[in-house]
Amino acid sequence: MAEDLVLDTAIRDWVLIPLSVVMVLIGVLRYFVSKLMRSSQLPDAKALKEGQVIIRARNLKSGANFIPSKSFRARRVYFTNEENGLLHVPKEQAQNAQAQMFSDPNMAMDMMKKNLSMLIPQSLTFAWVNFFFSGFVAAKIPFPLTQRFRAMLQNGIDLSSVDVSYVSSRSWYFLNLFGLRGFFSLILGEENAMDDTQRMMQMGGFGFDASRSLAAEKDSLDIIQHDWALPKIEHRAEQVLRKLLR
Amino acid sequence: MDSRASEKQSEDLEIFSAENLQSNMKSIYYSRTFLSIVGGVVAGIWGFTGLMGFVFYFLVMAIASLGLAAKAKFSVRAYFDSWNRIVVDGFLGGLMSYVLFWTFAYDIVHIF
Repeated sequence: MAEDLVLDTAIRDWVLIPLSVVMVLIGVLRYFVSKLMRSSQLPDAKALKEGQVIIRARNLKSGANFIPSKSFRARRVYFTNEENGLLHVPKEQAQNAQAQMFSDPNMAMDMMKKNLSMLIPQSLTFAWVNFFFSGFVAAKIPFPLTQRFRAMLQNGIDLSSVDVSYVSSRSWYFLNLFGLRGFFSLILGEENAMDDTQRMMQMGGFGFDASRSLAAEKDSLDIIQHDWALPKIEHRAEQVLRKLLR
Repeated sequence: MDSRASEKQSEDLEIFSAENLQSNMKSIYYSRTFLSIVGGVVAGIWGFTGLMGFVFYFLVMAIASLGLAAKAKFSVRAYFDSWNRIVVDGFLGGLMSYVLFWTFAYDIVHIF
């Protein structure tokens, strides 16, 4: 049946708008809470040093073609030298570092706090939506979907002849969840948006394991072929200066 | 998008200033997000349904690309590292926001 249902204005006033407003407010609240909770974290000296070494190695990599090949090679040896090169980590140390990472209470607490601050508001809101707003049609999505989506989108509605476009409030919740990400990135400033889905994907590769990234940097430095990019630099400098003098 | 990201030397060697590049990318992202939201509201008010709505989304994104290219004075090399950044990148990123605001506006105006 393709008839147009007319829905009660009260649904709009008391379901759609409050749900969106609540989700926006919870997102803002979560942003501020995570900012507050993050401030008490002393940086670990060793991890910081390793991070800086990695940054130096990357700078070397990106500027490799602008220094003469001898100096590039000298610098590269300094980093990748087998005995005391900065990026070379002996194997036992590598494994130790990882074990330490996992049992380090601070790191674990941090991860857990971040996880919780993601999960709790979401699950609370979801439970709230299910409890209060189930059993009626909440909105109509403007595009048609196939019948298979009916189970997903029309959870509380037990009539099977209603068009799939008429969805329950649970699907309005999910629509809000995904659609407000862009909105948050606009109002909350860069990158602090509600990127929970990205974080959930990051949870798979847990931990800043410095040893692995050091080894990766070492390999990538080893691979580089030096290609001297400024072969005629004196000529070019001469041309530029001549142009200036004219 | 006013920071020049690259300098072109006379022998086809281009170096890119990474932070300018990144800030330009961010401003593209913000423009596209904002346009998706506004486009969604417009589509809802006008009563687009189904395929027309998605066509309208792609139209809005194409206009955004055109506007961004015009703002970069069509010399993409000066501000980005490739044409793909302006034209293709982030095309589908605004889709969810578009659909959300499209649904919202459509319901408010037409159903309730």
